[in-house]
Amino acid sequence: MNEKQKNIRNFSIIAHIDHGKSTLADRILEYCNAVTKREMEEQLLDNMDLERERGITIKARAVRIDYKHRDGQEYTLNLIDTPGHVDFNYEVSRSLNACEGALLVVDSTQGIEAQTLANAYLAVDCDIEIVPVINKIDLPSADVDRVRGEIEDVIGIVAEDCPAVSAKVGLNIDQVLDAVVEKIPAPKGDETKPLKCLIFDSHYNAYLGVVVYVRVIDGVLRAGDKIKLMNTGAQYDVVEVGYLNAFGLQKAESLSAGEVGYITASIKTVSETRVGDTVTTVENGASEPLQGFKEALPMVFSGIYPADGARYNDLRDALEKLKLNDAALSFEAETSVALGFGFRCGFLGLLHMEIIQERLEREFNLDLITTAPSVIYKIEKTNGEVILVDNPSNYPPTDTIKTAYEPTVKSSIITPTEYVGGIMDLCQDRRGVFKDMKYLDSSRVELHYIMPLNEIVYDFFDALKSRSKGYASLDYELAGYEPSSLVKLDFLLNGEIVDALTFIVHSEKAYARARKIAEKLKDNISRQLFEIPIQAAIGSKVIARETVRALRKDVLAKCYGGDITRKKKLLEKQKEGKKKMRRLGSVEVTPEAFMDVLKLDDSEK
Amino acid sequence: MRRIGLYIHIPFCVKKCNYCDFYSLPHSKEKEELYISALCKHIEKEKHLYDNCEFDTVYIGGGTPSILSKSSVIRLVGAVKKHLNTTQGGEFTIELNPCTITKEKLLTYKELGINRLSIGVQSANDKELKCLGRAHTSKEAFEKFNLARECGFNNISLDVMFSLPNQKISDFQKTLDYVCGFSPEHISAYGLKIEENTPFGKNRDKLSLPSEDEDYDMYMCLCDTLSKNGYEQYEISNFSKRGYRSRHNMKYWLCQEYVGFGPSSHSYFDGVRYYYDANFQKYIDGSSERIMETVNDAETTLADKMDEYVMLRLRLSDGVDEGEFFKAFNKSFLDEYPKLKDFLKNGYVVHQDGHYSFTRRGYFVSNYILSEILH
Repeated sequence: MNEKQKNIRNFSIIAHIDHGKSTLADRILEYCNAVTKREMEEQLLDNMDLERERGITIKARAVRIDYKHRDGQEYTLNLIDTPGHVDFNYEVSRSLNACEGALLVVDSTQGIEAQTLANAYLAVDCDIEIVPVINKIDLPSADVDRVRGEIEDVIGIVAEDCPAVSAKVGLNIDQVLDAVVEKIPAPKGDETKPLKCLIFDSHYNAYLGVVVYVRVIDGVLRAGDKIKLMNTGAQYDVVEVGYLNAFGLQKAESLSAGEVGYITASIKTVSETRVGDTVTTVENGASEPLQGFKEALPMVFSGIYPADGARYNDLRDALEKLKLNDAALSFEAETSVALGFGFRCGFLGLLHMEIIQERLEREFNLDLITTAPSVIYKIEKTNGEVILVDNPSNYPPTDTIKTAYEPTVKSSIITPTEYVGGIMDLCQDRRGVFKDMKYLDSSRVELHYIMPLNEIVYDFFDALKSRSKGYASLDYELAGYEPSSLVKLDFLLNGEIVDALTFIVHSEKAYARARKIAEKLKDNISRQLFEIPIQAAIGSKVIARETVRALRKDVLAKCYGGDITRKKKLLEKQKEGKKKMRRLGSVEVTPEAFMDVLKLDDSEK
Repeated sequence: MRRIGLYIHIPFCVKKCNYCDFYSLPHSKEKEELYISALCKHIEKEKHLYDNCEFDTVYIGGGTPSILSKSSVIRLVGAVKKHLNTTQGGEFTIELNPCTITKEKLLTYKELGINRLSIGVQSANDKELKCLGRAHTSKEAFEKFNLARECGFNNISLDVMFSLPNQKISDFQKTLDYVCGFSPEHISAYGLKIEENTPFGKNRDKLSLPSEDEDYDMYMCLCDTLSKNGYEQYEISNFSKRGYRSRHNMKYWLCQEYVGFGPSSHSYFDGVRYYYDANFQKYIDGSSERIMETVNDAETTLADKMDEYVMLRLRLSDGVDEGEFFKAFNKSFLDEYPKLKDFLKNGYVVHQDGHYSFTRRGYFVSNYILSEILH
């Protein structure tokens, strides 16, 4: 190990949502004068509005900080930020793999939560040093000792002398930096070996093309090098290398083993540079890529349509722009009889889906209609063929299905004990299979269930929150496919199937859901000049029905004193509403009605 | 000579009715004096605009015009006749609330050339009148009607309302029978609409209103009963004996010109629609400004003009005459409004002698249909 390498510390901060990860990052930067208070936009690492609002970090970033330790030596600290949500587990694990250690931030008023554990386990899997940091000690309800105990008991790491800080008020930040330097090992790696860099993030920049963030494991990388991405096989000429500090990208001569930095190489989309891929040189390159590379696999699907059909092209442009920076987002054009032209989009999980939908609406000013989230079903047909179905409309007829499989997840729920009963009922209701229950301490419990993902994507998280007054936390990971008794539930308006309302549902729950949605449709469809029958059907068997009665009165009788404009305005408003309507055969439905029907938030509580 | 209508708004009431959202104020003698002076001044100031016009209909509405004292009416009508060119024998209407009618006032109207009365009877059921907040009984209303007949008025319109809180179809039938028994020349019938910012609007939840079906049945009952009694339905809410359509109101629906005076009064003149702010103080100060609803004729698009034409004509039983439409816009009516055909099939619209018009059923869902067919 050379001198330079000895004084490098590569680390991440991991935490449950809202435990103060980003605030701590800010304080560290501030403390090291990497950025002055005035220059610092609050929570610098989260540089998307949406992230800041939701208090979560979506895309990882890496910042280099120069730090003079009390031993008099200069250290280079690379802080690699990680996304803080279960949907981005793979990205988190790649970021952690780029580090030798992680600060595990735990809120001293809350204690360990589901994502604290999930993140801690990821760090253990990556075999990196975990340094607990107990945060928010300025709050009156802080209980540092209890949380220390919890960390030792539940995660099994020493927390006795770990820093207890308040990132908000900047208390004891020096202790955190001491711990980074003293507890986290310097990177290993050999400059003389063939080049191996781990890609842990990338983002699209309009001037530079894709900026790829890497951790150099072995070798040296220079501008002008011919590089190869080992999993995709793509080759590029490196235009520039450097590192990111609080002021932006800083060009450098080279990046060598142990260092963290960026590469630009005229790469056009982030999907060419997959997180977890290995960069090496074309000549004298490494023979084996780094372990652990995975394709970004969407787990949750939803149809996204512009509320105004004329904005289809805008929606496509917006999705393409988002895709530039989000390799995990997938989309393909889809046509729905009910909703017109749109896209079937794949997401890593529910949060990812919500974020994309919100960004489309906010940053691109689009009004969207989104169908209920769906998962991928695996169908073994009677003719031996196996197909994957991500759109309920494409679910094959029952008589052609030998066995249907649905994805399940291992879910971990941490909750105060008083809500255990309600949460167990909920999990039961959502077809969860109980695995075990562990007391974290006398007041908190961790529950494990195997659950169909299909049940989680329908508002499970909201239901969990409402049954625990917001205290329960959830984490889940994919646990494979299980055979299941599934049916395709269609809804018919005036005798015509509305494809956007087709659901795949467990046979035992079909009746309840059919009734609920039929009722919701009845409440949400505005009356028209004829009666509209609503039917829910499995195949040709109708299992629920409702009727929207015909409209008989819609008149403004009075046209008083020559006030024509009042009536005109009223009609114009009515006409505007009509324009937004979607025509389903002979029935008109507002986009809002669709969304209300698809919102299942109270459907099974 | 341009024939146009004149509307004068009297914004005073004895008592505001629970359903009413038109502009009116509590009455006082002083305010009345100030207001009549302001109106007369306003008319005089603007008279030059109407040099080449002949006012062949005059309508004094409100509010409650019959609240005005005899001398005020004389001043007002005097100013109108002095400054504006009114047609001798033209239709001249005043609105009356039964509780303010006196024989003396009626005789004054007669002398001044007012030849048509519109009386707000509303219901033959005193409970309903009380609920509406009307300051008269049904007996009083019909006594006043008879008084008007005695004073020589032979063109009287009665206003009735339906779809009232707790009203059953049999209740409304009684009102209709009672009203028809007096044989007025004209009847206007309006379904109660709950407006925001009225006592009814604020207590909407507490009102037990007829269902949509009951409402529909009452409207059909209205049309049937009046038809049986010899009234022609010439507009969604208006019925008359032969030759007694309201010529002033017809101007609104035929896109003809009319000018209004008084706060909240509306005008359509020289292709421009405007109104005066509903602000009494400003009006008596003489500082009330015209609020433009259409800037000028040229900037109103053809589609807008056609839509307005169609929206208003379809209120009339005569509907839209294809030939007239073509003459007015040089376009084929059905080509411009092709969706109308759907409603022909379903019996909401009829096509007869080159006219397209709503059926009764069509009238009652006319907003729905208009919002479908207009540009």
